[in-house]
Amino acid sequence: MIRLQNVNKYYYRGEEREVHALKEINLEIKKGEFSLLSGPSGCGKTTLLNAIGALDSIDSGEIYLDDMEISSLSEDARTRLRLNEMGFVFQAYNLIPVLNVEENIGFIMKLRGFDEDVIKARVQELASLLEIDTKLSSLPSTLSGGQQQRVAVARAVAPKPKIILADEPTANLDSKNSKTLMDMMRSLNEKEGISVLFASHDEYVMRYVRRIIEMNDGAIVAK
Amino acid sequence: MFFLALKNILFYKGRSITTFALTFFSTFSFIVYVAMMDGSHNSILHNALKVYVGAIEIYEKGYREIGGNEYLLYNVHKKEEILKNIEGVSSFTSRYETYGLLSSDEYSSAAMVVGINPTKEVQHSQLKNALILGEYLDGSANNCLYVGSDLAKRLHVKLDSKVSFIGSASDNSFAADIFKVCGMFKTGAYEFDSSSAFIDRGYFDTLMLSEDMASYIHVNVTDLSDVDLIQQKIQAALDDPKLEVLTWKTLMASMVEAMKVDSIFGYISISLFFVVIFFVIMIFSFINASSRLREFGTLRAIGLSSANINVLLFYEIFILSTLAIILAAPLGAYVAYYFNANPIIIEGMSETYKEYGIVSDELPLSFDLFTIAWNVGIVYLLNFLSILYPMRFINRFKPLEALKHV
Repeated sequence: MIRLQNVNKYYYRGEEREVHALKEINLEIKKGEFSLLSGPSGCGKTTLLNAIGALDSIDSGEIYLDDMEISSLSEDARTRLRLNEMGFVFQAYNLIPVLNVEENIGFIMKLRGFDEDVIKARVQELASLLEIDTKLSSLPSTLSGGQQQRVAVARAVAPKPKIILADEPTANLDSKNSKTLMDMMRSLNEKEGISVLFASHDEYVMRYVRRIIEMNDGAIVAK
Repeated sequence: MFFLALKNILFYKGRSITTFALTFFSTFSFIVYVAMMDGSHNSILHNALKVYVGAIEIYEKGYREIGGNEYLLYNVHKKEEILKNIEGVSSFTSRYETYGLLSSDEYSSAAMVVGINPTKEVQHSQLKNALILGEYLDGSANNCLYVGSDLAKRLHVKLDSKVSFIGSASDNSFAADIFKVCGMFKTGAYEFDSSSAFIDRGYFDTLMLSEDMASYIHVNVTDLSDVDLIQQKIQAALDDPKLEVLTWKTLMASMVEAMKVDSIFGYISISLFFVVIFFVIMIFSFINASSRLREFGTLRAIGLSSANINVLLFYEIFILSTLAIILAAPLGAYVAYYFNANPIIIEGMSETYKEYGIVSDELPLSFDLFTIAWNVGIVYLLNFLSILYPMRFINRFKPLEALKHV
């Protein structure tokens, strides 16, 4: 489903190439995979995740989503791609502060033009599954970190994207909440068949995923 | 997007209240300020037209530039018959002006002596209302002279004093007579009061051999805003290339210029006020947008385009501006309407500004829906412009950069 061929990315400072952040990355992630990009801080996990998520550009190589090459798309096309095909879970939750839980979960579905009834049913379903159904009318600022991250997961999963990209989703959570979140994400992966790619060095995440892609110094060292 | 904009407005209360309050205040004050400025100009204009000059005046070409008997109007009655049938003309009267020497027992002064129809003149000028001593002309075709108060002072004459007149009749023959001072007037316009005297045309025409002649015809219109249209109708109806039909805009060109200059200074003052309002709204919008940069990064990351973000910010300012304008515009319009119907009374204003032709202490505000509409349009435009820089600022960031913003 996602295929990377000879992907390279550099970070520049002035005219010179300062850091070779991604080195000749070749990778394939299949539909329904529950996988992890792992490695020490600064090894390029987040950079690779952002490149796959069409949030960041690459300097050479190709990234395919199904049969579509996405790294050369225009900014607008990449935006549409993120909206229609991908889900994102961020380390700092990044919920919309002015929307309550129900509105946050249904936000992307609304942007994509789903019917109100469909959105409502889907929100209810996910809220029950993630045990946040009693918080639907609460604003994000009134929720705990664990609850906020579950809302973020529900928001990402709600429109049934092809892949969810989760960058350090447990980094701000304690062990109990990390475990709960991973339980739920794995359950969603199994139930919904949505591919999930994590970037993390959290042991809880490592325990749950089925595939670990190890990175070091910008390169994949083990798949 | 509209829903999210509404939520943002309710959530970011500080910015919303500030923008709302500033927009409300600027809309209200702009409408009232312009109504007051236009009102004072209208007041000056109406006052000026009440004093002596007509909304429209009909001349033989050359009279105003050169003057003299060669440029008098002839067949005045026929022209007046034509005027009767023109829509928009409410009344008219002819005047016969001549310049001559008025002398009392000891003093002389050059003066403009005008033959008028006293009854008709009441509808055309404030001469009767400006009476301060004696009586206004009674229409009995006698030799009564109605003298400006400052001219009376120059001549050292009182009521019933005899004043001799020497001038030139319409056929350029020598004209001389003795008039009696029956009344004195004061309009407040010194030049006018110190050089003008009026006499019944019935009497004056005999002296000046000016029957069915006039210096010009003074025309009143039913609606001053239609003056240009009525001017064209008169010009067409008279159908005489030797005649010129002039409106107050030409007749009082210096006053029109003065009002324009006053308007320009008025708009400069209000512009400075708007510059301050504009920057305050822009700064608040910018601070708000800066503090929400991470939120915009999230929105971009999950699928909103930069155009969507612009639409979101546009909706926010649109909702706030519309709410403020919906409340402020009717309030401002009501104030303008109320003080249009019940003019502000400024005691002593006419005395202070008499040299500008102000003959009333009343200052009505102008109430004009078109003016209010463009006032509102300007406030809208400024509010929309104030959001352009914050939009540009936000869209300078790529989604990832915005996401990392703390």
